[in-house]
Amino acid sequence: MYQQLFAFGAAFLGSAVESTEALTIVLAVGLTRGWRSPLYGTVLALVSLAVLVVLFGQLIVQRVPDSVLKLVIGTLLLLFGLRWLHKAVLRSAGVIALHDEEQAYEKTVSELRVAVTRQDWVGFVIAFKGVFLEGLEVVFIVVAVGGTSLYFPWAVAGGLLAMVVVAAAGFVIRKPLARVPENTLKYAVGIALTSLGTFWAAEGMGASWPLDFVSILFLAAAYFAASRLAVQLIRRPALA
Amino acid sequence: MRFARGAASELIGLFVADWLQTAVIVAILAAGWYAVAGLHASPLPVLPALVLLLAAQLVWFTLAEARRTRSAPKRSPSASPS
Repeated sequence: MYQQLFAFGAAFLGSAVESTEALTIVLAVGLTRGWRSPLYGTVLALVSLAVLVVLFGQLIVQRVPDSVLKLVIGTLLLLFGLRWLHKAVLRSAGVIALHDEEQAYEKTVSELRVAVTRQDWVGFVIAFKGVFLEGLEVVFIVVAVGGTSLYFPWAVAGGLLAMVVVAAAGFVIRKPLARVPENTLKYAVGIALTSLGTFWAAEGMGASWPLDFVSILFLAAAYFAASRLAVQLIRRPALA
Repeated sequence: MRFARGAASELIGLFVADWLQTAVIVAILAAGWYAVAGLHASPLPVLPALVLLLAAQLVWFTLAEARRTRSAPKRSPSASPS
């Protein structure tokens, strides 16, 4: 049960972050140029992504041997999680700026302030591109986290629920979700994905973890400790 | 075509920010795989070593990027929007 909840939670949090970024783009286009074309772009992107999830999910679950699946997806998950963790550490230490949804929103809006034609292809393409590219990350998180048949429905549910929650919040407030603590979420998801990736990659190598799935908690503790150490070292006066 | 190129670079960018760091991570995993599957070493020393090496590379590469960014503040490889 804990494994399913872990898959659900990791997919939910990771997807929520990416959905927030996609929502920022769609809101910027919709509020600037009207809703019709960006909504078509959003729907087409979501349908394309759903097809990708169904195709790759089925293909991966049914055709790829378990050990190969764990090694490959574990490695990809590890690379993906470490990338997020790496950036979260640099943001926590103040080396790079926190991602500002309001700033991203204003930038997109200022780029779009031109005359709108009846069939607004610019609005359509920008919304499609934003939702599709951000959604690719959601698809990867869902497929990777739910990579075994046992957890796949849980990960899909987590990803879908995150998208619905973020879309509903965006619909209600009609503003970018600037108060989502994005770096904290990315930090947490980075640690979860890195831990899960290490666990699966090692299982794919043929190793068995002591305490099985519980060892993911120890992996998370180790990566959290390493990331805090990195933040402290970066903040030292000699480096700062 | 531009969209396809953008999507491809976005896809690669999901996993790779720094090619050297990616190579180091893959090398660590390959060494772990060789030790477990090739040499049939006991997983007990291999797994902690694997985690330690992965954690150490995280500390090393974030410190290196912090140094690079601070010495050239306007050119950060991590300054992408995502």
